[in-house]
Amino acid sequence: MDSSAALVSGTVRTGRSPFREGLKRFFRNRLAIIGLVLVTVEVVFALFASVLTPYDPNVMDYKALLQSPSAQHLLGTDELGRDILTRMMYGARLSLIVGISAVSIAVCLGVPFGLISGYVGGAFDEIMMRVVDSVMALPALVLALTIAAVLGSGLVNATIAIAVVTAPTYTRLVRGQVLAIKQNDYVVAAQSIGAPTWRVLVRHLLPNTFSPVIVQASLGIGFAIILESSMSFIGLGAMPPTPSWGNMVQIGFQFLEIAPWCVLAPATAIFLAVLGFNMLGDGLRDALDPQSGN
Amino acid sequence: MLLTTVIVFGLMRLLPGDPILLLVEGAQTEVSDETIDRLRAMYGLDEPIYVQYVIWLKNMLTGDLGWSFQTNQRVWDIMRVRILPTVQIGILGWVMAILVGIPLGLLAATSPGSWRDWLSTAGSLIGAAMPYFLIGGLLIYIVALRLKWLPASGFVSPFDNPIDSLKGSIMPAITLGIGLAAIVMRQTRSSFLEVLQQGYIRTARAKGLSRRRVIVSHAFKNAILPVVTILGIELGALFSGAVITETIFAVPGIGRLLVDSILARDYPTIQAVVLFITLAVVIANLLVDITYSFLDPRIRQSVSHG
Repeated sequence: MDSSAALVSGTVRTGRSPFREGLKRFFRNRLAIIGLVLVTVEVVFALFASVLTPYDPNVMDYKALLQSPSAQHLLGTDELGRDILTRMMYGARLSLIVGISAVSIAVCLGVPFGLISGYVGGAFDEIMMRVVDSVMALPALVLALTIAAVLGSGLVNATIAIAVVTAPTYTRLVRGQVLAIKQNDYVVAAQSIGAPTWRVLVRHLLPNTFSPVIVQASLGIGFAIILESSMSFIGLGAMPPTPSWGNMVQIGFQFLEIAPWCVLAPATAIFLAVLGFNMLGDGLRDALDPQSGN
Repeated sequence: MLLTTVIVFGLMRLLPGDPILLLVEGAQTEVSDETIDRLRAMYGLDEPIYVQYVIWLKNMLTGDLGWSFQTNQRVWDIMRVRILPTVQIGILGWVMAILVGIPLGLLAATSPGSWRDWLSTAGSLIGAAMPYFLIGGLLIYIVALRLKWLPASGFVSPFDNPIDSLKGSIMPAITLGIGLAAIVMRQTRSSFLEVLQQGYIRTARAKGLSRRRVIVSHAFKNAILPVVTILGIELGALFSGAVITETIFAVPGIGRLLVDSILARDYPTIQAVVLFITLAVVIANLLVDITYSFLDPRIRQSVSHG
């Protein structure tokens, strides 16, 4: 590849790989490592729940109702005698599935609109941004609940609601990024040699939005976990007996005085999962785009 | 704002099924087709969708929020008694976030790299990730059920008993305010760190002004602007928080009303509550913009010259 072709395709290489530099920065950041550990623990719980625990999340044991934490039940049992740690592990699976699915849908919805809006500009951009502003003017949970009210309760609908609520964030983010880079030489060069619009968008602009989108997606999974648990807590997400952290908390509040672990254990799980994804997201931002961090 | 009303209205009209059939679903006796048609005309549902929107918007703007499907009362009559608890707890939570977040952020910014900075940064990370369930659950269990210092649930109007009203609002306000305090703390820290590196701060210090005087008279007004913006932006999050907090503490506020109306599929009430929340957020952001012009003379001048 000669130098001009390399310039057009945007693959000019400097001495050190930016990816390696970023990786180095990430692993030097202690908070990012803590975040990575927390997320890894959640993923391990989610993947290996059936191996890690001898209990079934939905099998009731009437001889062990609301038992406090013990050697048999490390985090106690709930009002139906089910092992809380087991339900938390299966809940991790559910929260990760919802979080990752909602963020994936939001990225698939938000990124293309942001790309086109930023590149095309004009009336399309103007209308797009007004729509984005209008959706973002509504508090996220309020809008998610309203959408779920329209679609009906259930996990799939909750996931769609979360995706719709969070998609404008990606549109705005990617649009801003495209506006910042669309005048760069390699983009102008690609346009001047007659590259079709889709090629400029997909080959030259899209890869440059990956870093901020990855950072936002990491933070977004944490936010989606909060939204999903809030919706399940209200009764519009996962339905009992599905082990979801949100509905575990909701039922647990009825027994808070005699069995506080029923609330505190799943609520702590939500906290640690969100903390993990937030720290991971912050760490990724510092690693991928050191100038934007403070 | 207008586009938001279209979204709110459009969402409700996307409903699967006929709202009138939902309304008569629970009726004890058989409802005739004529009655259904009459009800449809009464609620204006026999008009084309754009006419329905214009009528609905006109009614909203004139304060006619419609009738609740669930209780058959005027929606405004249901809503107006719910505003006070939400506003009272929201303001208390907001003030708490300012009183905790700004001093701690300032403390961290004035000693970067110190243990105070580290503690404050860790606190802001933890506070921002704490779900309302955990804060609320811990507070109810420790403060209300074990120590019996404050009531676990309910709301007393400040006009009936100001002391009990305050007591009942403290825990919901803390639950609501911790997340915002963490965000305010983080923003204050980064904002002050940036301003304290400016040339005019060095000049002020070089002229012999004390550190405290430099922060209060020179840095504060410039550094506080982004914090004010965050406080405005996060007002919407306070309403999201109110939905959960009012459910945890059984507070009869706007958030709880939204949950109840969603669970009962009471669409006129859902529409009115969502619109009310949007209006509150828009007005709050307007107030933030006005506050901005008081804090920053450059904005005041550009407004008066513009």
